[in-house]
Amino acid sequence: MMTTDTIDQDAGDTLAAVARLLHHAAVRAWAQAESEGPRSSLHLLGLGIHIASCQAVAMLPPDANLEGQPPTQDDVAQLLRSAEELTRAIPVLDQPAGISPLVVAICDLMREATP
Amino acid sequence: MKRQDERSVGELLLDADFTTRQGLMDVSGQDASAMLRTWGEVVQSASELWATLPQPFRGTNSPIDGATMHRLESMSQAMHRDQVRRGWPGDGPSDERLLHVAETFTRAADLIGRRGGHIGPTDPAIRADLDAARMRIMHTLYVSAHSVGVAAQQHVADVELATTRGMSDRGRRAVPRGQDAINRLAAFEQLAGAYVGTQFARAAQGEHVHGPHGAERLQRALIGWDIQAHRTLAATPTPANLLLASRSQAGIATAAAAILHAGASTGHVDTHAYEDRLAPTLDATQRAWTHVAARWAEMTTPASRTDSDLVHAAGELRAAVREVAHDKTTWARPEVMAGRVDLGEAAEYFQQALSTAVDVACVTRDVAAQDANLSGPARAMSHRANADIDRAADPNHRDENVVWVTAGDVYANRMVTIPAPVRAGLVDATDALVQTASKAMSAAACLDRGAQDRPMGSGQEPAVPRSRRPEGPAPAAQEVRRVARP
Repeated sequence: MMTTDTIDQDAGDTLAAVARLLHHAAVRAWAQAESEGPRSSLHLLGLGIHIASCQAVAMLPPDANLEGQPPTQDDVAQLLRSAEELTRAIPVLDQPAGISPLVVAICDLMREATP
Repeated sequence: MKRQDERSVGELLLDADFTTRQGLMDVSGQDASAMLRTWGEVVQSASELWATLPQPFRGTNSPIDGATMHRLESMSQAMHRDQVRRGWPGDGPSDERLLHVAETFTRAADLIGRRGGHIGPTDPAIRADLDAARMRIMHTLYVSAHSVGVAAQQHVADVELATTRGMSDRGRRAVPRGQDAINRLAAFEQLAGAYVGTQFARAAQGEHVHGPHGAERLQRALIGWDIQAHRTLAATPTPANLLLASRSQAGIATAAAAILHAGASTGHVDTHAYEDRLAPTLDATQRAWTHVAARWAEMTTPASRTDSDLVHAAGELRAAVREVAHDKTTWARPEVMAGRVDLGEAAEYFQQALSTAVDVACVTRDVAAQDANLSGPARAMSHRANADIDRAADPNHRDENVVWVTAGDVYANRMVTIPAPVRAGLVDATDALVQTASKAMSAAACLDRGAQDRPMGSGQEPAVPRSRRPEGPAPAAQEVRRVARP
């Protein structure tokens, strides 16, 4: 298996964008959860999105650029959908290794976030 | 006349992948029967497509390449035989999406057979294309196995819900056969997942394919989380790891409140104890963990790395809670949770988790107070330092001249050592966390069935966190020591 050292530049940039979207989605889910109170099930949705975001960051090289303006969308489901759509541009062979479980995780989260 | 499909093999494989993803996003328990009927066809067509791909050039193939697909096909055939033997799901409609995936694989195999199956792949670019095709096929099988597994899980959950309303013999048989399908699909998913290979799959090595379910899974996940949180925070107490640890602990408190509420509603947990003592302290500890998590989040950047073992443990914890307590997008109803697990047993596991949470809180406080390496992005640290000073200072004696972060650092947003006011605020927040976690532990002592059964003065200690046990009486009876500020 290839390592993060061999990530193709385009795939790396796309994955960084996925990580940014997931990070923002987690922040939004948690903000919504806090407004609903400590028993909101959205706390666990936010945790799930944050975990997916950690997985995405782990596949990137250490010097990957993850800064930038937060996305304009605030809707959690829409942010997840955007992240999933971006993963379609990432080749499953050219790595980073681990894209398949990330795809599954995002699809699972979308199902969880969509009433 | 039907229009000819002019797509390339690569485009067909992408179509199959995206179709399975869409299916995964929309899947429900009602789809389980049709998906299980069609699943074998997907695997068979994938296997046939795999066989039509030109064989890897001698010496360049991995020994697992062909063997993995053979094993997956065998597993699928065994599953089909089992379905025939059990008479479930029986005859009926196919799943349209999976059927489309199978047809797409078949179309790709035809295309290769007609145009290029005989090619000897000596060119590195062609070999790379073939590797990409194999990986895409395996990825599609991995995603679709997960999708069918989710449908089977939701089907079993739906059937179990029916038990609470009285169930026929036919319905009662559906649970073990559904569970068997879930186990077989999990094994399939794990094998395909090993081929597409991930860091997180490696982190999970050593787990059993047929993992535990329900309360047992919850217990293991809570214990596994506790062990991993201690390991990670001892070795690498970075803000990113502390953020995930705090958010996960907040998640435990949220889940405990939901499951104990269900226990109280169904007679498994004392209603007065829940309403008067447990619920308020769980809410307070959840808020305290969330507040501390927000503090750690300020000290991270989007590029901050989190320990992969901690990520895996948090993922398993979340999955175990969802299995017991969730119904699609929200909490399951109390009677549904009660139909899934023994809520009294689950309450005991949370009682233990709330005890160990005090220890995690103490570790968190120690890092906040003593770790000299804590740093954060300059802008966030400057903002936080000024906000904390404004809140704490006497308005008549505010020192306007202290610069906590230099203008250069703020401009470049460099990582800087956390300023003294930020650390002081963090220590205050974690001190409050230890207090609330201790109160939650005391309140949860009533959930310990063993302690309730013991006679008073039997000499057995109440549950207290491991690392704090020698320090004195249980926190229920003491004010937990505050840490001196640096």
